[in-house]
Amino acid sequence: MDLPETSPPAGSSNTSRATSAPVTLTYEGVVRGARRLVPVSVFVIPFGIAYGVAAIEAGLTVDQAIAMSAFMFAGASQFAAIDLWQGPLPYLSLALVVLAVNARHLILGAAISPYVNQLPPGRWFLALCLLSDVNFADSYKLMKTGYRDAGLILGGGLLMWVTWLAATIVGVFAGAIATNLDYLGVDVVMAAFFGALTVGSVSGWRTGLPVLVACGVALLTMPLLPSGWNIIAAALAGGVVGAFLPVEEKGDREPTAHG
Amino acid sequence: MVDASSAYLAIGLMALVTLGTRIGGAYVMRFVPLSARVERFLEAMSSSVLAAIVVTFVARGSLRELSAVAVAILVMVAIRSPVWAMIAAMAVAGGWSMLAG
Repeated sequence: MDLPETSPPAGSSNTSRATSAPVTLTYEGVVRGARRLVPVSVFVIPFGIAYGVAAIEAGLTVDQAIAMSAFMFAGASQFAAIDLWQGPLPYLSLALVVLAVNARHLILGAAISPYVNQLPPGRWFLALCLLSDVNFADSYKLMKTGYRDAGLILGGGLLMWVTWLAATIVGVFAGAIATNLDYLGVDVVMAAFFGALTVGSVSGWRTGLPVLVACGVALLTMPLLPSGWNIIAAALAGGVVGAFLPVEEKGDREPTAHG
Repeated sequence: MVDASSAYLAIGLMALVTLGTRIGGAYVMRFVPLSARVERFLEAMSSSVLAAIVVTFVARGSLRELSAVAVAILVMVAIRSPVWAMIAAMAVAGGWSMLAG
């Protein structure tokens, strides 16, 4: 799930340092991670329901809508995918749009790597397979202060996964029963959600300029490119602008809360 | 209409891509540290892609969609709550549909 409470850590490579005590992944850590995220997981429910309803409206079957939540577990990219859901399915643009939306996971994984990369392969995979903004933010904070159980990430991820799946199922069946979803405004949920996420991620011109450029590129290339490709062009353009903006001089940068 | 086998193929593909983003960052760090520039690229790209999807949606739609998204953005700016932004946009779009017909 991509909730705007946290932003990925800029320059995690600067903050990465070797840690003293060995990192483990235990059952106790998993339970602790899940317990810690109970209050936060509630906020995922409305989005999961909204996704379920929107997925049915987009033409997915009940099984497909639920399978997408179970196997992807990444809300924003799921909304983006159902927006492109028209036969014949554009596999390449689906894959690239999902890659662009979920690219922030790469930053989260890199930031938490000093800890998880000490684990043996199987546990390393378990620690990362349900990584999302929410369990990253919680675990990263604790592990920086000396906590050494990566079960925290998995436990938090499992709780968020179960919540996301349950909320999806509710939404899917609500969507299957409802007759005219336009009266509920379901078709604008994704755009509203993404608009809100974008606003949450912008603070000042350094984060705003790439977004503005991306909007311009998306609009200009829309009549020229096949479905979805104007979004990929815009994402790349925004990324390049962000990469080459002059850097602000700051010390040890860390993940910061936006709101 | 999307047939079942291509739907599941697409879901499997997207699930693999998503898993790749989850393990990819830590995997790459075993060999080379992610440079600050690459991180800025990824960070800017993940907000840019969402914004691009929104403007594309609005450009394809009518005044109804534009008003709903505008209200969502205003609510987010005002109270920083994505849930309320979403609910407000649904109310605008739903109300618009009811009044228009």
